[in-house]
Amino acid sequence: MTDAVDQDLICAIATPPGQGGIGIVRLSGPGAKRVAEKICARGLVSRKAVYCEFKNAAERLDDGVALWFPAPNSFTGEEVVELQGHGGPVVQQQILNALCSLGARLAKPGEFSERAFHNGKLDLAQAEAVADLISSTSIAAARAAVNTLRGDFSNKVNDLIERITTLRVQVEAAIDFPDEELEILEQAGVVEALKAIVQAHKDIIESANQGRLLSSGLQVALIGAPNVGKSSLLNALAGEEAAIVTDIPGTTRDLLKVDLLINNLPIRLVDTAGLRDSEDTIEQQGVARARAQIAQADIVLLVVAVPELTDSGVKEQIQELREQFSGAQGPPPEILVVVNKTDLAAPPDLDQRVNHAAVSARTGEGLTELKSKLQKLAGYTDDATEFSARARHVDALKAAAAQVDASLLALQGGLGVELVAEELSLAQRYLGRITGDVSADDLLGRIFSEFCIGK
Amino acid sequence: MRYPEQFDVIVIGGGHAGTEAAAAAARMGVRTLLLTQNIETIGQMSCNPAIGGIGKSHLVAEIDALDGVMGRATDQAGIHFRVLNSSKGPAVRAVRAQADRALYRNAVRKILENQPCLRIFQQSVVDLLVEGDRVVGCKTQMDLDFYAPCVVLTTGTFLDGKIHIGHEQHPGGRAGDAPSNLLAQRLRALPFRVGRLKTGTPPRIDGRTVDFTKLEQQPGDDPRPVMSSMGQRSEHPAQTQCHITYTNDRTHKIIRDNLHRSAMFSGAIEGVGPRYCPSIEDKVVRFADKTQHQIFIEPEGLTTTELYPNGVSTSLPFDVQLAFLRTMRGFEQAHISRPGYAIEYDYFDPRDLTYSLQTKALEGLFFAGQINGTTGYEEAGAQGLLAGINAARKVKGQSFWEPRRDEAYIGVLVDDLINLGTTEPYRMFTSRAEFRLRLRQDNADQRLTPLGIDMGLVGTQRRQHFQVKMRQLQVLSEDFARQSILPGSDLDAVLALNLRKETRLLDALRRPEVSADGVAQALAVDTNDEVAMGVLRQLEIETKYAGYIRRQDDEIAKIRRHEGMQIPPELDYLGIDGLSNELRQKLDQQRPASLARAARIQGMTPAALSIILIHAKKVVSA
Repeated sequence: MTDAVDQDLICAIATPPGQGGIGIVRLSGPGAKRVAEKICARGLVSRKAVYCEFKNAAERLDDGVALWFPAPNSFTGEEVVELQGHGGPVVQQQILNALCSLGARLAKPGEFSERAFHNGKLDLAQAEAVADLISSTSIAAARAAVNTLRGDFSNKVNDLIERITTLRVQVEAAIDFPDEELEILEQAGVVEALKAIVQAHKDIIESANQGRLLSSGLQVALIGAPNVGKSSLLNALAGEEAAIVTDIPGTTRDLLKVDLLINNLPIRLVDTAGLRDSEDTIEQQGVARARAQIAQADIVLLVVAVPELTDSGVKEQIQELREQFSGAQGPPPEILVVVNKTDLAAPPDLDQRVNHAAVSARTGEGLTELKSKLQKLAGYTDDATEFSARARHVDALKAAAAQVDASLLALQGGLGVELVAEELSLAQRYLGRITGDVSADDLLGRIFSEFCIGK
Repeated sequence: MRYPEQFDVIVIGGGHAGTEAAAAAARMGVRTLLLTQNIETIGQMSCNPAIGGIGKSHLVAEIDALDGVMGRATDQAGIHFRVLNSSKGPAVRAVRAQADRALYRNAVRKILENQPCLRIFQQSVVDLLVEGDRVVGCKTQMDLDFYAPCVVLTTGTFLDGKIHIGHEQHPGGRAGDAPSNLLAQRLRALPFRVGRLKTGTPPRIDGRTVDFTKLEQQPGDDPRPVMSSMGQRSEHPAQTQCHITYTNDRTHKIIRDNLHRSAMFSGAIEGVGPRYCPSIEDKVVRFADKTQHQIFIEPEGLTTTELYPNGVSTSLPFDVQLAFLRTMRGFEQAHISRPGYAIEYDYFDPRDLTYSLQTKALEGLFFAGQINGTTGYEEAGAQGLLAGINAARKVKGQSFWEPRRDEAYIGVLVDDLINLGTTEPYRMFTSRAEFRLRLRQDNADQRLTPLGIDMGLVGTQRRQHFQVKMRQLQVLSEDFARQSILPGSDLDAVLALNLRKETRLLDALRRPEVSADGVAQALAVDTNDEVAMGVLRQLEIETKYAGYIRRQDDEIAKIRRHEGMQIPPELDYLGIDGLSNELRQKLDQQRPASLARAARIQGMTPAALSIILIHAKKVVSA
């Protein structure tokens, strides 16, 4: 079923993507005020700007102004709240996440305008434009979905759908053909299959890299010996991007966090300037925490500098780094070697198998290449539509995962198999938003081809 | 000759669709005529002698809730009753009954002959009488013209029916009955899309030649279920047994060696058969690794020795049928009393119908049953009921009743048919119903009887029966909501709840381990009191499904909003940008009346729906 005219709560970033002075997150639909007040932790006043901190539970995300427009006097004609904060993409994404966890959902392209039209807020002449917008964005979204659906991510999603379908074939066949001697999984087999699907969901959500990038930004750690120019590299990367530099609590004063945006990709850069072994216990604790931060990084920029640089020296450092991360949880970070200070001397020839970029933090030479390498490593393409298509995929995956979980609970709780079937069918419907629906007739076709039915 | 009396509704065909259609129209008080080739075969079960089953007894319960024929007749003719899926939840439980063919026919005929406003006439129909783009009546073989503003056509497999046994073929509507070829020719000339379907039956066996001592027994259930919500066990005739046997390597070898002689495999049949009811040759070929197939041996009746071996429908020649049957345990000496055969017949593409089952091409003409590409008595009966109701409503100048997918399996059936069409004989399964948890056999009366009462379909007896049940249910649920159980109390102990705090009885009933029967024992309710237990079980089901039902209600509310969004019929789909060509064509052809119906069109996307809605609003406000 479509949700073209659903009156549910939708949210989206209303300002252009990227770093700006002000970033607005807009919320429209019933309950907008109630949900926004949870983020703002204070009451909103009709059509009055209210200054507040935006929080997700206890965590402070940003601060700014909240504006509540009661229905029907708003852009969409519905209850609308605008949260106007600072324009960082990471922060805005975190606010969206907080809103979604409180029951809102991400708006589809053109959905705010569409609602405005349905509620008589746009005139007839504008209707055509809205229809065009929807059709063009849906074509772009479809194209983006196709693009996204190539490769690893889509293989995994398709595999997941296949596994759920297979299980549904079993469950539905057991329900609709109880008299046939079907070789249907016993309950224990279904439990095992469900557990495996739950795990597969977790894996794929984890690996739905772009989705995670959207919610938390790409985690990049800067590592290197003293005096290779880490700070100047950080400044060079951040300089043109209006970085917000903050201390990370709980680490030594030497650990810096910088949120910046490279070609629309939100990046959280952690600079480990001066991270070294220490005799001081308090400092040791700080160092340990810093190491833990680094271990969570998606990418480590290993900064080295000419002229004292050799191929074997670089390989040694890479080896050392790998050993450090070997015990850590999760996948080890990608390592990108940054050869700095190319303005001082020409870099030596490095083994082509070592992923590296040569830059001069001082002159800015090679920075563009470094950025594109970072982007490539992150698996990120500079296409806003595809970006949001992926985000919706992750949404659908999470919703489906919750249903699979529910079906496992139903089964283990001794509820009827028809309830297991109900949750599974919902899970499949959510996944169907990514790849298209599996109809009742498709399912029956599978049942008839896999089981010999027919008395 | 023009028949001297004018009718309101003429029903052509006395099968399961025709009898429900005629009875429904007559119950609503309009002058109804049932035309059949043969009065003796009214209510004939042409295929297997059973009513109900998963998805199917759900349809019977809905027919029953509207005071139809099928459920009542089954209770008068059932000789073996079982509850299927009894170990699964109530939404997917179903009743299946073996019926004595003769008793079933008699029961149906008795109901029809006692129905006021209904006339029956035996005569083959050869033509429809048409004026402009509306039907006004029909002409029979002996040139009798009957007039009525509404005609319901329920001709089953009789339109250009062709029977195949091996390489032999002959025209036939059913073994022993002539097809309706004149009418088929006439209908083919009208602007309906026509397709061919096939179905098959197994050879029948003389029970005196079967060694039952070698067969697995399958007794009916105890306690024995009833089919109609008003049914009584005391109505049931004597009960009997079913048996089970199996095919084996030798059976399969004979079939494989003779495949070239099968009508289906030699290419003589162009029609498409059902995937869920394959012939035995199909099963042997497609599931070659299976070493045996289960065959259910069903009695044809109490007063006959004939048996129906369910699972070996075939179009192989007679000598092969006899040879493979005799390889099976218990069938070593079997005598075939009627050969099995495959039958091919015309059906009309149901996409040429509207939700009321009226044809788009001819006003006043309704199609119901196998003519629409379905299979099964229950599917036919449900359509007949709907067509009969709508024909009567049309005569009375009332709007059509178009049940939605969330209201009834009848709604699922019609919605699937007219939107998706069908490429094989369409059979109901619970997996077709996305709102399966609401569409249960146990609550069919709660869903439909009030509507039936409003439409004038439901007699006094059923109305009172229903009202008593609803009152009791209300009293009981209020009771359970008020009463609570204290931790450590007797009830806590008897129900093994291990409560930590005071809990309402209703909430205790929500737990999976607490059953209606357990509660009845704990509260000293007489478990033999069927009415009290029925109401208690109803409360249990509603309580346990409550959360799921609420979620489905949300989904339904969304759909209904779309239902309320009407699309003007003059909307120019071909001129809308942003829709795919394929969608434009489909929309142009189907002209959905509401956004909800547009959403059901295959290939529809949310974006396309938004665009349609915007253009629909533009047309309305322009």
